[in-house]
Amino acid sequence: MTDADRHQRWSEDLAAYMLGALEPDEAVELERHLQDCERCRGEMRWLDPAVHSLPEAVERQQPPARLRESLMAQARADARRAGSGTAEAGGPRRSLLPTWLRGGGSRGLRFAAGFAVLALVVAAAAGYEIGRGGSGGGGADSTVVSRQANGVTAKMVREGDGGTLRLVNVQQPPPGKVLEAWVRREGTVEPVPALFVPDRGGRAATTIADMRGVDTVMVTEEPRGGSEAPTSEPIVTMSVPQ
Amino acid sequence: MAVRRERAERLADEELMPLVGGKDPEAFEVLYDRHGGVAYSLAYRIVGERTAAEEVTQEAFISVWRSGARFDPTRGSVRSWLLSVVRNRAIDFLRSKAGKAPKLAFDDDSILEQRPAVEMTEEEAMRRETAQEVQGALGKLPGEQSKVIQLAYFGGFSHSEIAEILNLPMGTVKGRMRLGLEKIRGELAEGLA
Repeated sequence: MTDADRHQRWSEDLAAYMLGALEPDEAVELERHLQDCERCRGEMRWLDPAVHSLPEAVERQQPPARLRESLMAQARADARRAGSGTAEAGGPRRSLLPTWLRGGGSRGLRFAAGFAVLALVVAAAAGYEIGRGGSGGGGADSTVVSRQANGVTAKMVREGDGGTLRLVNVQQPPPGKVLEAWVRREGTVEPVPALFVPDRGGRAATTIADMRGVDTVMVTEEPRGGSEAPTSEPIVTMSVPQ
Repeated sequence: MAVRRERAERLADEELMPLVGGKDPEAFEVLYDRHGGVAYSLAYRIVGERTAAEEVTQEAFISVWRSGARFDPTRGSVRSWLLSVVRNRAIDFLRSKAGKAPKLAFDDDSILEQRPAVEMTEEEAMRRETAQEVQGALGKLPGEQSKVIQLAYFGGFSHSEIAEILNLPMGTVKGRMRLGLEKIRGELAEGLA
């Protein structure tokens, strides 16, 4: 069977796959084919809007008010519990990390030490400019610009407790990879939940909701879906003022 | 509290997601206010019953809030991702019910209530326009193409199950799915031109 034949065979299944109508084993086989077939990936990108538009065509229903009330009650209760966890155990986000990354075991210590060395090496090759604005709340507003040895420029804008990390001159990650940001807080590295990718001009940005206690911000290339711990050397490592 | 809500309202969906991941209830509230209506509508379209639709929508939003499920911007918009979570939950709900009765609804849209939106923002107005375009595109599809797409997407049936239901060869079912999606895509592209 030629490549064209194989493409034709799988191309016929794409629509069923995108509608969730392939059997699980067929879907696995198609996904394997997609890794090597740019034509099929291109066809999927073309058809994507059609599939994503289907729920928009549904007749609108008014959800009951109690649904919103119930969801928000649960969210606020969770947030309160997470807040009390911060005071007692050093922050709720650490629960997102596997135990070995929380600094308790020897593996965690090795990881933290390794990352610290990487941070120092990159920081040594980078220049920093720091501007500080007025403090409007719990955290100081400030901007840090860091030029990395690999040509990437990183700008961290701190606003209150959160901040925005903007990158310029970032290379496109390899296929199947995305950018993931990490923060180091009290010696522990935590993932930033939202994954991001650079645009065609090499610009990328992500928001970091909680910058309290963060002394270092890093970015790595990770597989789609992100990682619980960094799996590659950082393309950005920058110190941020407390 | 009000200031944070106002700030969250100014953020794009993609900017809200890190805040939701950081357990910010205001960001979550804005996310729900933007997409809760269509999420509930989709759930209702699939499960066909209000109490079940409410349950499915609640589970979907809570899983986004609690599970640490990560939004991957390379795979589409926040709205598409959220609606895929709702669809999967709704299909799971259907499959968990004995017999997995199909929610075909080819001719029963008239029995569905359509209530006016409480408030229509510019963004919502654009979505309504898109919805009309898609409804128009679906309406223009030959019945056999519309049927297989709806059985798959809203009914959760596999192509082999659809082939059995409609007494058609599997290749025909897949071909109709493909032709139908291509036509919808073509209509959307024309709408953008």
